[in-house]
Amino acid sequence: MRGLLLSLGAVVLAFIAAPLLIVVPMSFSSAASLEFPPPGWTTAYYGAFFGDARWTQPTINSILIALAVAVLTMAMVTPATFALVRHRFAGKSAVNLLLMLPLAVPHIVIAIGYYAYLSDLRLLQTFPGVILAHTALSVPMAFLVLSASLKGFDRSLERAAMSLGASPAATFRHVTLPVLWPGFAAAALFAFIQSFDETVVALFVSGRDSMTLPRKMFDSIRTTADPVIAVVSTLLFFTVAALVILPMLWRSFSRSRS
Amino acid sequence: MDEAAGSPAVSRRIAPQRASLRPWLLLMPLLVFLAAFFLVPLAQVAMMSVTEPEFGFGHYASIATDGFYLRVLADTFATALLVATCCLVLGFPLAYAMAAASPNMAAAMMIVVTMSFWTSFLVRTYAWMVLLGRSGPIAALLDWIGLPHGELLFTRFSSTIAMTHILLPYMVVSLYAVLRKIEPSLLRSAASLGASPTSVLRHVVLPLAAPGVVNGLTLVFVLCLGFYVTPILLGSPREQMVAGVIGQQIEEFLNFGEASALAVVLLASTLIVLGLYHRRFGLDKLWG
Amino acid sequence: MSAPYLELRGLGKSYDGRTRALDNVSLTAAKGEFITFLGPSGSGKTTTLMLVAGFESASEGDILIEGRSIGRVPPHKRGIGVVFQNYALFPHRAAAENVAFPLLMRKMPKAQAMAKAAEMLGLVGLERFGGRYPREMSGGQQQRVALARALVFDPALLLLDEPLGALDKNLREQMQIEIKAVQRRLGVTTIFVTHDQSEAMAMSDRIVVFDGGRIQQVGAPLDIYRYPSSSFVARFVGDSNILAARLTDPAGGQAEIAGIGTVRVPALPAARAGDAIELLLRPECLKPGSGLDNAARLTVDVIVHFGDSALVTGHAGGTPLRARLEGLAAQGISAGDTLPLSWATSSSHVIGRDAAG
Repeated sequence: MRGLLLSLGAVVLAFIAAPLLIVVPMSFSSAASLEFPPPGWTTAYYGAFFGDARWTQPTINSILIALAVAVLTMAMVTPATFALVRHRFAGKSAVNLLLMLPLAVPHIVIAIGYYAYLSDLRLLQTFPGVILAHTALSVPMAFLVLSASLKGFDRSLERAAMSLGASPAATFRHVTLPVLWPGFAAAALFAFIQSFDETVVALFVSGRDSMTLPRKMFDSIRTTADPVIAVVSTLLFFTVAALVILPMLWRSFSRSRS
Repeated sequence: MDEAAGSPAVSRRIAPQRASLRPWLLLMPLLVFLAAFFLVPLAQVAMMSVTEPEFGFGHYASIATDGFYLRVLADTFATALLVATCCLVLGFPLAYAMAAASPNMAAAMMIVVTMSFWTSFLVRTYAWMVLLGRSGPIAALLDWIGLPHGELLFTRFSSTIAMTHILLPYMVVSLYAVLRKIEPSLLRSAASLGASPTSVLRHVVLPLAAPGVVNGLTLVFVLCLGFYVTPILLGSPREQMVAGVIGQQIEEFLNFGEASALAVVLLASTLIVLGLYHRRFGLDKLWG
Repeated sequence: MSAPYLELRGLGKSYDGRTRALDNVSLTAAKGEFITFLGPSGSGKTTTLMLVAGFESASEGDILIEGRSIGRVPPHKRGIGVVFQNYALFPHRAAAENVAFPLLMRKMPKAQAMAKAAEMLGLVGLERFGGRYPREMSGGQQQRVALARALVFDPALLLLDEPLGALDKNLREQMQIEIKAVQRRLGVTTIFVTHDQSEAMAMSDRIVVFDGGRIQQVGAPLDIYRYPSSSFVARFVGDSNILAARLTDPAGGQAEIAGIGTVRVPALPAARAGDAIELLLRPECLKPGSGLDNAARLTVDVIVHFGDSALVTGHAGGTPLRARLEGLAAQGISAGDTLPLSWATSSSHVIGRDAAG
């Protein structure tokens, strides 16, 4: 029974990994269509990606939008998380639910809402429009990550700092922030990735000038099955790999040091 | 007596608990933002469903009576249920193996799951187009074995398998969270009391894993209900899911009223499932 | 009369506006004094400490240092050093940087602050550990860093909140001695919070016993031990026999105890014959034999040997009694034996009555 479960587990792991790995050889394939195994090898499509503004511009757009989303999200979620974790007040659980709501609403639903609402505000197909929509969608994850890290924070550290002569501002700067920074960084990263990957809302509200990378990929997969998709996929895959693996290495490195 | 006498401090009342204005000040920016850029657009969807093009509940009436919409809704629910079940069946052995593995091994397996989770689902959707394509490896394998197969891509099969793959990490993480907490000594003591491995699994592991199972099923089901991109790119055009139909109403027919009414139905279904979960377990546990 | 160094005036604290976590706590302390707040959890001792440190604000009353009110001074301007239960060392700063922190907050130049921090670490025996991070140090070492950090800025007051709770027994005793030595050397007025009565006895100039949000008794350790003002204090501080008795001759000092008979007690001229009293008899005051003022016969139920002493529990005519005998004197005693015991009248105490001496 146990052996069966374990070998099934290994098969499932392969099922998860295989599709992620297949995009790498595909990106070097010389075939113009979806052919696997590739009939020959080339790096031409990497050149096609980096040399074509129709690909690089959405990439840059997505990075800019995601950066703005991360900053805006953290600016609003940080004080809110402190309020929710550290204070008791009437209506707290309702506020909690409200902050989680964007996670519960299917993106297609709110995408229609944004399409109508942002066009009323004349923000449709603009950067600010996409940024505002993505910020709302990234609030729940940023809040979850930050509040988990804040709940684990030992408040006697702040009391110690105050008793030692640090003003509230100095306490935040010298103690709270440095101790919590991994939590802040993780929350900001979640917000960034949420925006960077978001497709459905971007399909409806981003325009020609504010086109995001997922939208460009969606259009490209749907219409032409452009081999450049494999290049983009490979680049995204390695970016994610770096983001996932580097912090783990860093953690085991700092653990072995102590 | 000395300078202390000048202090009127004796028994002076110092403000008791500070009024609870502070948390609201801290919350204010986010609450205003969410109201303006989430609640209002969401309300607008509900509004449009009864005002576009004219006031009335006609869209809901047509959803309730039109065979096409009813079939789409039924298909959507059936697909979500199927995908959730597939995720459970695939996710359980993996989560079990992770819980049983050494810490380093479990961490390595977790990396694979985490990478899949973080990789854009457009990338994963594209990968399935390659895998299931006419000149892809799976078709080649089936040909080699000699199994007859029709078109793999753009079918219900392809969108189901891709959605299962995309949502599987949620299930694995939910299950792993409960399975790793089961003490090995508990399993050993059950075995020492005479339970066969199968009955240890049935009477000890599964009951303890139940919260994770419910969690994973809810999460996958709800996410699948609203899935838009993958069914459009990989699925059969004849067997759409409700999110795809909503998008089509807008893109092709600019029919905001009909799309909004369908969206409200989709939202209501999602919120009902989540509401049931919330009443039983508390929503804050769903996303761990 | 000059103002006391530290004064707590009628401190009260209520979290919900109705029930009182703290009620009318008043106390004065002289400069350099080592005062221990002793009490069970929820007794108000930690709440009082939090009010003094300024982490919470009092609902009533005030706190004065050298006659100046600090009740409304924010914690970072009070200049009070605090050592926390879990040490609360900054995990992202090395030991020396932790100790230098209060100096840097006071705008001392970095080099000077680090030099002074190194000096302070030397005082607590950690001169070579300045570069270590808290997670790289043992509990005892972290404890010393926390102490050095709380003292480096010459605080007006040092507060210690159950700082030894997490240490094992031997280390705890060693730290008690070290803390006491450093405190003496620097002459800093200190408030120490603990629920461990032996720790309180070992370290304090005076003990303040808390219960139910109120001060129950204030006094020197031995005074509290010998003359507790209530049966709560008698039970909480040290091991005790508390015997219900009835006065037969208050002025002459005679009372009647069920199962033991007539005994001599400290004279209570103000009391009346027939009054019910509680007589405190510390177990170690009961001696084998019948050579002292009062006698009782103890039927032994259980005897536990500790080597240097033995604890005998049993009863005298139905009244439960515990006696702590010297180890050698207890040799050969076993359950079921009847043991003649006696005690000196002066070693007993009538609880709640002023009868010192």
